[in-house]
Amino acid sequence: MELTDADLVARVLVDDDQNAFGELVRRHQSAVRGLLRQLTRTDVALADDLAQQTFLRAYKNIRSFRGEARFSTWIYRIAYNCFREDARRRKELVGIDEEQLQTQHDPQVADPALRHDLMRALNLLPLNERSAVLLCCQNGLSHDEASRVLDIPLGTVKTNVLRGREKLKRMLADWGPN
Amino acid sequence: MEQVNQEDWLDRELREAAPYIDDEGFTARVLQQLPPPRRRHDLLRAAILLGMTLLASVLAYVVSGGGRFISVMVERLAALPALWVFVLALASGLVIAAVGAAAALSRERGLQTGLLQA
Repeated sequence: MELTDADLVARVLVDDDQNAFGELVRRHQSAVRGLLRQLTRTDVALADDLAQQTFLRAYKNIRSFRGEARFSTWIYRIAYNCFREDARRRKELVGIDEEQLQTQHDPQVADPALRHDLMRALNLLPLNERSAVLLCCQNGLSHDEASRVLDIPLGTVKTNVLRGREKLKRMLADWGPN
Repeated sequence: MEQVNQEDWLDRELREAAPYIDDEGFTARVLQQLPPPRRRHDLLRAAILLGMTLLASVLAYVVSGGGRFISVMVERLAALPALWVFVLALASGLVIAAVGAAAALSRERGLQTGLLQA
């Protein structure tokens, strides 16, 4: 029988079982690294550094995991905090405004690959909308879970998701269903 | 309806745009950077328990006058009816099984509360 995330956390807590922690890393590394790659606008090296920091911080603070939320929600929150602290250090925590969004998007020169366009469109979203869309639409978190991860009110998450989606739809209008 | 379709399409594309990222040594790199595990005191605990048991046995032996009570008890036991011996053996077995089950449950509860208190 496969152990649940909660079982593995319990083993880390009680026995300081690093193999159990390794299993948690193996299970969640793809999602965490993927999220950080999107947040860092596909800077793979930076994203992987932040992902390592995320898991190390999770290990050191595993006693603060209460088991009320899913482990994935908790680890996303740490990942987002790592990203935010790094962005503050780099002074990059500035969203792209509407005007910039309009001038950067030119459907005539858009890459023919939909995925490429989608990634580019995502990267053009301001950070608050990008984070909310990534967590809710791509990683399947509920609005409530995303609100905990991003540490912002539930209503703000809903607004950011809505606005982000609207902008994505506008930017990807040529690809949408007819 | 068209809006619903478009949202479904967007969600699907977003999910598919996040392919699985192969581990490629990532987990190993994280594990290498973990601090060394806490030192466990299992050996010390076992040594203390063993020492206390030995001390108690020696004391019991000395206080009981060289363990004479053992031979007395064996003689009494031999004089008991077979049914009594069977009942005593069964009761002893049950007591040992109950203690073992209690220890297992306590260990399980320890894992659970360890998680909840964290």
